[in-house]
Amino acid sequence: MSSLLILFLLIPLAGIALASRLRRGKHFFLLSLAMVLLDDLCLLVGVLKLPTSLPMKTADGWLYLDALSGWHLLVMLLVYTAGSVFALDYFHNDLAGGRLNRATARRYNQLWLGSLWTMTLTLLANNIGLMWVGMEATTLVTAFLISIYATPAAIEAMWKYLIICSVGIAFAFIGVLLVTASLQADASGVHQLFFTELIKATGYNHMLLKAAFLFSLVGFGTKAGLAPTHTWLPDAHSQAPGPVSAMFSGFMLNAALYCIMRHAALVNHALASDQFTSRLFVLFGLLSITIPAAFILYQRDLKRLLAYSSIEHLGIITLGLGLGPAGCFASLLHTLNHSMAKSLSFFAAGRLGQIHGTHKIQQIRGALHSTPLWGVALAGGLFALIGTAPFSIFISEYFMVKAAIGRGATVALIIFLLGISVIFVALLKQMIPMLWGEGNIERQESSSWSGIMVVVALLTLLLFFGIYLPLPMHNFLNRAAALAGGLQ
Amino acid sequence: MLTLMSLLLFMLVLTNLTLLGSSRLAFCIRTVAVQGVVLGLVPLFGLQPFTLQHGLLSLCAIILKGGIFPWLLLRGLRVARVKREVEPFIGFNVSLSIGFFTLIGSVIFASRLPLTGNNNTLIIALAIFTMLTGLLLLVSRRKALSMVLGYLVLENGIYCLGTAVADHIPMVVEFGVLLDVWVAVFGMGIAMYQINREFDHTDVDRLTELRG
Repeated sequence: MSSLLILFLLIPLAGIALASRLRRGKHFFLLSLAMVLLDDLCLLVGVLKLPTSLPMKTADGWLYLDALSGWHLLVMLLVYTAGSVFALDYFHNDLAGGRLNRATARRYNQLWLGSLWTMTLTLLANNIGLMWVGMEATTLVTAFLISIYATPAAIEAMWKYLIICSVGIAFAFIGVLLVTASLQADASGVHQLFFTELIKATGYNHMLLKAAFLFSLVGFGTKAGLAPTHTWLPDAHSQAPGPVSAMFSGFMLNAALYCIMRHAALVNHALASDQFTSRLFVLFGLLSITIPAAFILYQRDLKRLLAYSSIEHLGIITLGLGLGPAGCFASLLHTLNHSMAKSLSFFAAGRLGQIHGTHKIQQIRGALHSTPLWGVALAGGLFALIGTAPFSIFISEYFMVKAAIGRGATVALIIFLLGISVIFVALLKQMIPMLWGEGNIERQESSSWSGIMVVVALLTLLLFFGIYLPLPMHNFLNRAAALAGGLQ
Repeated sequence: MLTLMSLLLFMLVLTNLTLLGSSRLAFCIRTVAVQGVVLGLVPLFGLQPFTLQHGLLSLCAIILKGGIFPWLLLRGLRVARVKREVEPFIGFNVSLSIGFFTLIGSVIFASRLPLTGNNNTLIIALAIFTMLTGLLLLVSRRKALSMVLGYLVLENGIYCLGTAVADHIPMVVEFGVLLDVWVAVFGMGIAMYQINREFDHTDVDRLTELRG
């Protein structure tokens, strides 16, 4: 069964190769969807049906999947599936109107599958160097997804993204090098920098290992959009096409955070305590929760607004990582919830932007009346994001509060609650006129099946996990949280 | 062997200082190319037992950094029709002075690192110096091309650090890193071309459409 891991890497590559044989614009998008669905099938048959088969290893130990990477794989495929279905709706008009020609459609889908490949590699790599290679490759592939429509603003965003993230990720590689350097000469059993070997190794130089973690945190943290190195994020998210923004927010940031989790587990295990990493996680988490608050309050662009909200939520996830096992549990649950809610919101923002011809909040009015489907999607997404009750983000934030109390982190808890309260009010203030205000365009009745399907599915999942957390999922999350903590 | 090694390290310092002090972009590109070749040679001289794989890796690094990158960047320079870095945020003389102090600081810092049993202190010091030079170029220059050069110098520094501290890094990873840098430079080149086409200049500080 473990040779299945190779399939995860082969399927997107097959898609990229097949795309060069196709002729019609729409077929490229159908091909992407088919490949992602094949991936889903592999995940269902190989992993979810038998979660006890994890961890699995293949290719001489180079590919490895345990509960932590499995959980991220699940979130990734959910985001990619939703994004591929939504792309059919989003690009429909552009294809018909000739704004997206055949060559661009092909390039978009090849890059889309390419980004899937690089992220899969990041998750499956057992070697921390290879994990880095995968993460850096995501930057290079996705940069060209931002500027698929080569407007000046998109090119500016793509340039900033490419430079800031490449330099940031370079720092993470110093982290990888320092991990190797901290292995003292007598560290036996480490041959290939495999994560599975590194975590068992003893005799690390603790100071160098701590320095390594700092570099990884800052390096991968740049890519994860953690404040204060988040500056590329609002630009890139606001200029990319709808499905790409959703994939950025919904998974790419989490992939970078996943790399940090792996490094943290290593450090915690070697130091036999999570005190060092916890403090840093809490600090960076709180910074990322508080800094976006002001930007959200005065934001004029809907997609930038959502981008700042992503920084906040990544901050919440990071905060949770610093709050012990219960916090890690809450973080991982929050990862799933945020990815679903943010994808939904970006889908809505993308389509509303197309319909209104702008993403300016001022110009989008009365969406619930004029574009019912995307109005409902935006309402659902935003209400979920601010943490209102029946939606699942409420549950993960509740777990977060519980973890903070259990850990006795009172100051962090107060700042966290203050931060999310300010953002609650700010987002509410921004969204009410967008949803219920005086409409300024004609009511649009027709919606495509792909749009309806994606909105209904994501809303259902958000509500379902808000009410009920199935026991197998609970157990799986507990296993993943233990791995993220690294102490067992 | 030792003298040859010292010569290479001396060249490394010299290329860094040259980069900090010169405004002609074509000359800077060639200097970075020389630096790439120098760094490609460093691992061959006695740091690790010589193997075929190490030789192959060095060869790839030299071809890429000494041949392909400068060719790509010089082409980009011609397309964008820029010759010099004009009025950088930090002047050339000041950059050069900062460079000297960074060099001294790096040597002192490296001598205090707790790297037991590692006698590559000087290489580590110069690796840190190279990385800091790259960062200084990145933050102090105006032209898009200078940023790409800064990124390349930073990568060179990291490569140098890698040869000094890490003997566990598997070959696949080393090649993966090299491939990533290649694609990064290629991508930045395309981005530069697009910036020039859409904005009719490549001054990074004038890219201010997106804010807030």
